Amino acid sequence: MNSFETNISRLARRDSALAAALRQSGGGRLEIIPARTGLPSARANGRWVHSSYDPIKEAQAWAESQSHQDGETIVVLGVGLLYHVEALCARLPRAETVVLVVPDLSVLHDAASVRTWGDWMDRVTWAWGTTESVTERILSAGHPLRLVTYAPAASLHADGHRAIETALQRRVAGQAGGQLRIAVVGPIYGGSLPITRYAVSALESLGHHVRWLDPSVHATSYHQLELLKNAQHRLALQSKYAEMLSRVTMAQLAEDPPDLVLALAQAPLILPMLEHLRRKRFLTAMWFVENYRHLTYWQQLAAGYDFWFVIQQEPCIAALKQAGAKEVRYLPMAADPSVHCPLELTQAEREECGSDVSFVGAGYANRRAIFPSLLNREWSFKLWGNEWDGATDLTCVLQRNGDRIDTDICLKVFNASTVNLNLHSWAGIGFDPNGDFVNPRTFELAACGAFQLTDRRSLMSDLFAANEVASLSSPDEFPGEITRWLREPEQRLAMARMARQRVLTEHTYVHRMSSLLSQIGVASPDRIGSILMGSRQAAALAAAATDSFPTTAASLGTFPPTQRVELKQLAAQIRSRSPMGTLSREDLMVLMLDEYRSETKDLV
Amino acid sequence: MRHDEEATGRTLLIQLARLGDLVQSLPVIASLTARCPHRSLDLLCPGPLADLGRLFPLVGQVLEWNGAQWHAWAESFVGEFYPSWLQEVEQYLAALTSEPYEIAYVLNQHQRAILAGSLLAREVQGPRLRGPLHGELSPWASYLRLVAQSRGANRIHLSDAFCGLCGVAPPPAPPVLDFPSIDLPSDLADVGRSAGQWIAVVVGAGDADRAIPAPVWIQWISALLSHESLCSVVLVGSERDQSAALAIQDGLSPMIHGHLWDATGRTTLPQLAELLKRCHWVVGADTGPLHLAAAVGSSAMGFYFSRARVHETGPYGPGHWVWQADCARPETWPIQASVKLLGEPAAAAQQEPVAGWSLWQSHHDEWGAIFRPAGDDDPREDQRASVWRRLSEQWVLPQGVR
Repeated sequence: MNSFETNISRLARRDSALAAALRQSGGGRLEIIPARTGLPSARANGRWVHSSYDPIKEAQAWAESQSHQDGETIVVLGVGLLYHVEALCARLPRAETVVLVVPDLSVLHDAASVRTWGDWMDRVTWAWGTTESVTERILSAGHPLRLVTYAPAASLHADGHRAIETALQRRVAGQAGGQLRIAVVGPIYGGSLPITRYAVSALESLGHHVRWLDPSVHATSYHQLELLKNAQHRLALQSKYAEMLSRVTMAQLAEDPPDLVLALAQAPLILPMLEHLRRKRFLTAMWFVENYRHLTYWQQLAAGYDFWFVIQQEPCIAALKQAGAKEVRYLPMAADPSVHCPLELTQAEREECGSDVSFVGAGYANRRAIFPSLLNREWSFKLWGNEWDGATDLTCVLQRNGDRIDTDICLKVFNASTVNLNLHSWAGIGFDPNGDFVNPRTFELAACGAFQLTDRRSLMSDLFAANEVASLSSPDEFPGEITRWLREPEQRLAMARMARQRVLTEHTYVHRMSSLLSQIGVASPDRIGSILMGSRQAAALAAAATDSFPTTAASLGTFPPTQRVELKQLAAQIRSRSPMGTLSREDLMVLMLDEYRSETKDLV
Repeated sequence: MRHDEEATGRTLLIQLARLGDLVQSLPVIASLTARCPHRSLDLLCPGPLADLGRLFPLVGQVLEWNGAQWHAWAESFVGEFYPSWLQEVEQYLAALTSEPYEIAYVLNQHQRAILAGSLLAREVQGPRLRGPLHGELSPWASYLRLVAQSRGANRIHLSDAFCGLCGVAPPPAPPVLDFPSIDLPSDLADVGRSAGQWIAVVVGAGDADRAIPAPVWIQWISALLSHESLCSVVLVGSERDQSAALAIQDGLSPMIHGHLWDATGRTTLPQLAELLKRCHWVVGADTGPLHLAAAVGSSAMGFYFSRARVHETGPYGPGHWVWQADCARPETWPIQASVKLLGEPAAAAQQEPVAGWSLWQSHHDEWGAIFRPAGDDDPREDQRASVWRRLSEQWVLPQGVR
């Protein structure tokens, strides 16, 4: 009997359907080439899937580098010739479950053909078929899940794996009932400040306990430093000031350690502080709501955060990983419907804020170049915002003398304008040729039920359909498109309605925060994942303690079933009994652990 | 006394503080084993001190308290709790002792030591009268707390207060830490072997504000070597004292080559005990090594300032000397007077007073250690007997109502 028959016969005892499917499928997806050691290795799409020298040694090194906690189900992404799965099984205790995701039977067919599998294959659960059936199979193996990726093989099926991860994240988000303690660190000032506010609000509405560590209260002092004429002094002091604010944040985190530190772009957390946080087992995430090409400070911070969420896809994600970031995910901007919504305006407000065409934003170079072509037309045009100094040809349409426009006025303008222009900022002339991310204004306008004309963005089609948001591919199209849309009020209003509905369905900050947490939850099953899934709640903990620790189970039974219970709460419950009460051995152990826990984390 | 002298069974002494406190536990070990010679007495101490604890006479097993492991658990457990963790803790405790001790004597007032006693023994005797969660202190624990807050006229040494905590009297004679010779690093093997006075200088201190500045040591060693030409000096301390030791060597004349050994950071605790044993005098501000020196039979001379107080933590046993500063951060140091004292301790009473410092000599009697001024005109009345009587009466009362 050849290797294929041997393997398939054995596989049939555990998964007869898979064995049958493999007999039906063809192979040839992998190019089998002997390694220097004589063992079969493989290539696909011109790249080695396993080492060309020693596939076993390479697989063992990979397996050694994978971390896991007792009781987790290990989900392996990447099939190849299964050397890595064999090495992982050899390293794990026998009780651990390994699930192998098989997105393409032809690869497994190749793997079965070239060498005979050992006893380790009996420990593997094979998750194959549609995304839904793979997800079901993974979830049926038990929680918590830890996804490990053998990248050389997994890269062959990146899309399929992404779909499976997304499905798992949706399940986590759908089942999430546990309350996290999240510290949100915003910027001292700037565009990410309101986004921080929206994120905090969204997290709270998801039921989490959120603490906003808000350095913007120090903004006045920080701005004073900008008045220093000596640039060297100014930069040095601003750097020191940011470092001091970073230390303040650390002190705040030490006082009440959260489950997750979520920083927004421009948060004053410097790399040494982030490294210190990691040493103290704080989990950190950054939502980098910036254009990575323009603001490049991410290069210095990439290795500091455990998770990066960015508003751009490739090559942004690759650049961050190259700079040292371990986990980088795409998380686009959003709107907050409680803020960004249709408004009933007074006549006076309509007169001041209304126009046929409007734009709200700062005077970037591309806007200064394009907007003069919109003057002296048959429509009225109003320009709102600051940093338009020197744009003399636009003075006639600039409102409020170019003052900064607050959110309140901004929303009134969105609501009162017939056509809102949404031209993404760029330092060049025309449209940004690399324009990829979709700015917050897109979502905010849509959430307001306002019609908008945007410049073309490569990531727009994933977020809004062409019948929801109108995009232009060239600045020259502006006059014609404005004229057209002004003349088609019904179609315009229909588009605006659909765009708003799309935001409400998919693009709120609640959606984003839910996605962010579920992604972290899947990647961190023993920490964020288990809290989200409710396994830290009193009832779940009591059930886990019943057999081995009955006194502890009884103590846990005194809490409301869905209350999240930590060591300090359990210890406090024990202490709250009569001081003369009898303490069990379990009680004493809990109290001892809590004595050591109660030491303030040495962060400052 | 509560415990029958014929009683058998396993008892445990819990001392989870630093080196000095561990060595100062020798008298209570001597008294407990003298009272119940048929009971085995084990010792629970911090892991890093365990090898020294194994040199203690009269101690059976030495159990190592793994503080680092507890800290690691604590680091892992912030914001979390899983019942399965208790399994790991249970395994750790079972490895310490499979059966609970009959009695644990707890010498520390902190909750960890008290909880450790409750976890490892059926009965706990120590600072708390009614269990880990009840705040009522034993009479001796109350007395020690009072002394810590306002020292007043206290003349009871901490070692003897440990005896009081455990319900025993101080030993009639100071215990001696005797042990077979321990090998030293080869370049230190000759320490104490040649003629002349061998002086160990304890370079640092547990806390930075209790350390003697390097320039002072430079002056002191220079004065010593000019006064006692046959003298040899050994610098001792931990790894973190090595830079201070180098600074001292840099500041000394090259002419003293051959008279100076640097052992900082190069000895284990048993080796340190051996090193101190080979020296005639051990001088310094760090009370831990001074206690160890006194225990191994060497003469100790301490400079006490900051929070260090001669009456509570002076070197135990007769024949030791302590210079007590009037203020926490002394600006002048009794360099010449202390050097002279090493050569002629009998003439101490005739010494001119040193501004800002008082000189005390240790003695031992039925109430344990007592420090008296060099001229023996202690203005404070020795109240040890009355304190012992009062606390012993209070002790009987709560024991009687148990």
